[in-house]
Amino acid sequence: MTSADKTILSVKNVKKHFPIKEGVFQKIVGHVHAVDGVSFDIKAGETVGLVGESGCGKTTIGRCVAGLEALTEGNIYFDLPSEKIAILENNDSEEGDKVSSEEFQELENSYDIGKIDGDLFNYYRRNCQMVFQDSFASLSPRQLVSDIVSRPLRVHKICPENEVIPRTVNLLEQVGLGAQHLYRFPHQFSGGQRQRISIARALALDPKLIVLDEPTSSLDVSVQAQILNLLHDLQKQRGLAYLFITHNLSVVRHMADKIVVMYLGKVVEAGNTEDIFKNPQHPYTKALLAASPDLETNVTSGTAALDGTIPDPARPPQGCSFRTRCPVAQPECGWEVDDIIRRLEHRDSIFNNLKEVEQPNRYNAEFTFETTDAAIELKSSLQSDDIPAAMSEVMGPLKVNPEKVKVSFKPAQTVPLVKCGNGSIARCVLINK
Amino acid sequence: MSQDLKTSSVAIEGLNDSALKVRLKRNLEIIQNVLENPTTVIGLIIVILMLLMALLAPIITEPNMPDPYQMPRDWKAARSAPLTPGHVLGTTNRGGDVFYGVVWGARTSLKLSLIVVCLTVVVGVTIGSIAGIVGGKVDEILMRVVDVFLSIPELIFALAIAAILGPSFTNIILALVVVFWVKYARIMRAQVIRIKQREYVDAARVMGDSKMQIYLKDILPNSFSPVMVQATLDMGNIVLVGATLSFIGLSEAGIAEWGVLVSEGQAGISAGRWWASTFPGLMVFLWALAFNLVGDGLRDVLDPRTETKR
Ligand SMILES: Nc1ncnc2c1ncn2[C@@H]1O[C@H](COP(=O)(O)OP(=O)(O)OP(=O)(O)O)[C@@H](O)[C@H]1O
Ligand SMILES: [Mg+2]
Repeated sequence: MTSADKTILSVKNVKKHFPIKEGVFQKIVGHVHAVDGVSFDIKAGETVGLVGESGCGKTTIGRCVAGLEALTEGNIYFDLPSEKIAILENNDSEEGDKVSSEEFQELENSYDIGKIDGDLFNYYRRNCQMVFQDSFASLSPRQLVSDIVSRPLRVHKICPENEVIPRTVNLLEQVGLGAQHLYRFPHQFSGGQRQRISIARALALDPKLIVLDEPTSSLDVSVQAQILNLLHDLQKQRGLAYLFITHNLSVVRHMADKIVVMYLGKVVEAGNTEDIFKNPQHPYTKALLAASPDLETNVTSGTAALDGTIPDPARPPQGCSFRTRCPVAQPECGWEVDDIIRRLEHRDSIFNNLKEVEQPNRYNAEFTFETTDAAIELKSSLQSDDIPAAMSEVMGPLKVNPEKVKVSFKPAQTVPLVKCGNGSIARCVLINK
Repeated sequence: MSQDLKTSSVAIEGLNDSALKVRLKRNLEIIQNVLENPTTVIGLIIVILMLLMALLAPIITEPNMPDPYQMPRDWKAARSAPLTPGHVLGTTNRGGDVFYGVVWGARTSLKLSLIVVCLTVVVGVTIGSIAGIVGGKVDEILMRVVDVFLSIPELIFALAIAAILGPSFTNIILALVVVFWVKYARIMRAQVIRIKQREYVDAARVMGDSKMQIYLKDILPNSFSPVMVQATLDMGNIVLVGATLSFIGLSEAGIAEWGVLVSEGQAGISAGRWWASTFPGLMVFLWALAFNLVGDGLRDVLDPRTETKR
């Protein structure tokens, strides 16, 4: 294994749930499943692109990697030696020798960014930096560029005080700015220049990994290209690894070696950039690619565009979460009672008359209505084209009992991420079928 | 030093800007913006005149020894009208020179308002910051206390406390501190909660700076504008409330303080000797007005939220 292949970051089954609070007493009434079991690795010097629609949890993952959020579950390991990776993988797999829990504990205590402290934590801090989406919000309006860019040098006492400003200028020069910009406030710069300042600040500690959260999405197209080229050049010179977060597929194709496609807090597909662009496996990836302007011709092909709304991340669908919008949904996708509500909640004549719902589990429910008409309407809707054929197939016989409707679904397996023919992994029941 | 750093150093030497110069220039710009509003300028002129009067009091009038904060008594010239030789603004029933009281009253007011504002800002900002940063139960308890304090009208609250503590100038200071810190706590808490979720705070966390440094370098400077506006307004309000307490008799009798003077002159009003109350009363009014005008002007420039409303 060459040093270039060294894994710098391992994200293992990370979950981040945000509590939803309500009322005067701020009672917790549920959780937004912003990130729901995500795993991926980043190797030294490579760029991993994280893509997905708005709200799918990209920023949250980036913030977790940068150590800004406490994880609900899972681990993030930084700069794990390759022999230890084997231990982890061993631990993950079902069969084979399980590592002893002490050995695992020790691994966590020295490499998990949520567990380490002291020098180990400092090492991680110096080597993992972040550039934020909003260049204006990420620079303090009361600090001069000289204060902003030199701050990491002073925090970690990288050099003697008399070298701080020369080094700061040096950093500014590396991002295409110069000494003349030292004593200015952030508001005196253009958006692109401000993003350069953020990049200079992230470079100050000479990190191994930089999290880039939509670094160009707030910029003009012409400026975007300049910043992307700058990032590209810096990566070549310094062997930086990037976690590149974006919803712009042409940008990610230009920048990333590997792509992780996310939907509703979960990875739906991951693999090499070219493989995914040439031969996407997951229906969601296909739809994303179809919806984005073609790189060469700059027109969207009309096929299988993404429509429908994204389900509520506080109650994400089980099974395959994309099934509610999927053009090729299957009976095995994990249909459940919530799908009835997702489909029919706009039908006031039914749901305004709902008295109560008794739901022992995700697959069974008994709706009680005020009127028999509403019950009958629900029944006929469930037997009509309002419901996808794949869903009807796993729906048990409906029991209507004047104003009660009893529904049931065939319980389904969770949909795992599996290897596909082209070497990437995807989470879809159609793969290898 | 490496070659790269040397060339960078050369580039720095060519600069004719420095951090200090740029910061000064920025502050001048803010002052210029403040001065664009004519009512603010009027307020500022009055404030400056008041401050000059307070600072130059020993030069303007001969200090009354041994304690210049005590009114000099000229019993022979009691009840003189204004423009009497030696008593430009007349005297009180008890021979107090009104002009002396007006001039040294400015000094007393400056002392009172500065001490109270400094103490209340320190207390309020500290408590507000703790509530905003720690959050949870601590925040809840502190803010309950603040709510209770804010629910009682300022003047009545100050009066009650001063009355409990007994009549003295020091007790007026204490009473005012107890009443006036809460607003700063409330303002600061809201600011801290707003600023701590800014991305530049996240950026500082990512570079590994300590919590204390982040508070001092990022949160505090970016939260401070509304505190400064409130402090300017309170420079006026405190003198107003302080003078009211003195007028009621909660201060020591005989000190050179506007409220005390108004109260001393009150007895003569029915006999047509208006001056002993009018001049110090006018001073209280002007002082409070001037600081409020300046405070409003500062708010328009420093706090863009009200700017867009207009
Ligand atoms: N601090 C928070 N508290 C509560 N919910 C949050 C918080 N941060 C994010 N969320 C929720 O988590 C989900 C994922 O948010 P996130 O910002 O990670 O999405 P994203 O993929 O970055 O979207 P975008 O493309 O719009 O930036 C959203 O539903 C969001 O509302
Ligand atoms: Mg985002």
